[in-house]
Amino acid sequence: MVSFSVKDLADERVREELSSGLRKRLVVTVGSHLRGSNWRMSVRQFACDATLDLWDDDYLVRIGNQSERLKTLDQVLNRCLSVEGLFAGEPKSYEPQKGKEIYFAVKAEFNPISKKQCSELIRPTSGDDPVGPITVNIVRRRICRAERTIEFRSEYVRVPE
Amino acid sequence: MSRFERKILFAIGLSVFLALGGSIFIAQGALREVYRVGVNERFGAELVHGVEARRGQLMALRSGSEQVADAVGWAVEAEMTERRNVSRLESLLQELLERYELVHGIRVVDGAGQEVASVSRDTDPSGASMRTTTRDRDVDAGGTKLRIAVEVAVPEVYFERLQEAGEASEVYSRLQRQSASVSDVYVWVFGIMVFLVIVVAFLIGAIVSRRVTRRVTALAEASRQVGSGDLTVTLPTGAADEVAELTQAFNDMVRDLRDSRTRIEYLQRISAWQDFARRLAHEIKNPLTPIQLAAQEMDETYDGANEAYRKKLENARAIIEEEVATLRRLVGEFSAFAKLPRADLSPSDLCDLMQSVQASVPAILEDVGHGTPAPVEVQVGCATEPIRVRMDPMMLKRGVDNILRNAIQAVYEAHPSGGGRVSVRAYATDAAGFIEVRDNGPGVSKENWDRVFDPYYTSKAEGTGLGLAIVKKVVLEHGGEVRLDRAPEGGARFRIELPLMEPR
Repeated sequence: MVSFSVKDLADERVREELSSGLRKRLVVTVGSHLRGSNWRMSVRQFACDATLDLWDDDYLVRIGNQSERLKTLDQVLNRCLSVEGLFAGEPKSYEPQKGKEIYFAVKAEFNPISKKQCSELIRPTSGDDPVGPITVNIVRRRICRAERTIEFRSEYVRVPE
Repeated sequence: MSRFERKILFAIGLSVFLALGGSIFIAQGALREVYRVGVNERFGAELVHGVEARRGQLMALRSGSEQVADAVGWAVEAEMTERRNVSRLESLLQELLERYELVHGIRVVDGAGQEVASVSRDTDPSGASMRTTTRDRDVDAGGTKLRIAVEVAVPEVYFERLQEAGEASEVYSRLQRQSASVSDVYVWVFGIMVFLVIVVAFLIGAIVSRRVTRRVTALAEASRQVGSGDLTVTLPTGAADEVAELTQAFNDMVRDLRDSRTRIEYLQRISAWQDFARRLAHEIKNPLTPIQLAAQEMDETYDGANEAYRKKLENARAIIEEEVATLRRLVGEFSAFAKLPRADLSPSDLCDLMQSVQASVPAILEDVGHGTPAPVEVQVGCATEPIRVRMDPMMLKRGVDNILRNAIQAVYEAHPSGGGRVSVRAYATDAAGFIEVRDNGPGVSKENWDRVFDPYYTSKAEGTGLGLAIVKKVVLEHGGEVRLDRAPEGGARFRIELPLMEPR
């Protein structure tokens, strides 16, 4: 289990965006790696959709299929960016690495544009043009990537024998 | 790869690269300009205004819902203060529900939490999703504490539209901020596509050009072979184009060279044989008369009484005279062959030649039949139109007579009691005139079809082997060719081909 906080992701601009009344997405990804390797043994990801409800003046936070209402932005950031006791992968993923040193890599992303909307807005025109689909795909990746991202690594820890 | 091929490929590569490279340069400018037209600050600002307008609309609705809740609270407070009639409260709430569109339900409870009255709107038949919230108002109606819960609702679509507008504005803002890199992506992708097209075009060009350059290289190699004396070279012409025409011309040239060389070699050989015949005739002819005179003198001057010896002398004289006569004939033929003049060509008609051949047929038949006409059917014919060629009529007639004589002799020997047939005819194709002599005799075996024209080659006991050699010499001097093959009726067929004065 890992615990960490990526609240540093929420700079002034992110806070402003979260208070705009539009739905924003915060995605946190945790991966475990062997020391000296980029290969990921296990990965865990969760996405948090946060919307300031202009009608009720509170925040609607949705994680997976569950949603809850929170009064303040700090509560939202705590809920979405502070992780307590997260299972970073199944135990069987660590079985072969017993006694070896590993580290956890955390990546937190803030993206105000949903994938669905991005695909709908940036799409190739119909026709036989071969350049269009390839180009649009590249442009879409550039335009729709996360607006702000922070990443960090944990200290090395040894997988228990 | 030959130098010519390398040059062709370089030319293809250069032209393809310049054309498509230029198109990339032009496309780059056009793409950037199009992008600037479509994505600019003005449109971005308008999109932001749209988002603010939608947000303002929602805030206005929220404010309106607050005011409606206040109004409902005041109305209930006034009713209960003035009339204190709870039974009429239900109808008042119904009136308020109908008056305010935003309101979906009103519930009045007393201080103890007991419901006093409530009304609610039926579910929207359109099934539109609604976002609802409750505005509570506490009122004091003539000493009675009441809580009025006003449920207000707005369509969910208002919030969805705000979300969509916000994201669209964000996407547009990013497109605007990254205009340079986005248009560069288009140029790069276009450039890569163009590069692939260049590669494909170059490969196709290389394959196509290789087919041409290979033929040109083959021509160059064949020319070198011809230069070193090999005239057996023949190249396939391939597709119908200029290179094919060049190849065909090359093949024609080589064939003409080959024919010319064969002709020259044959004429040189004939010339050598003529020289040999002249010397031979000279060496043989001179002692013949003294030999014959000596034999006569020996016979005539013998005055002895030995009758047997006299008989021997007479026999010897007869043999010597006969052999001398044969030698004289041979010397005559050798001499005639040695003195054979060059053909003197002039415009003539092959049909006229056929008429003179026709005239000599009876004499030949009689000669072959040793005094009586040989029983051989000879047909001489010609086309209805004149066949104009350049020829020496006398020389050519002599040649045709030789062939005709050989043919009559052959069929006479094969059919001495009749049934032999010989046909002589002249005809023309588009490019050449022909004289054909064919018979139903035994023919000539295939391996001898070329040898029969060699001087001194003969299959006859008394032949000199000069007749057909003379024929070939005469025909070659006419720029023509004579060939022997098998006639359809089984005998020999000689065909003399002469170039027409004016091809048809």
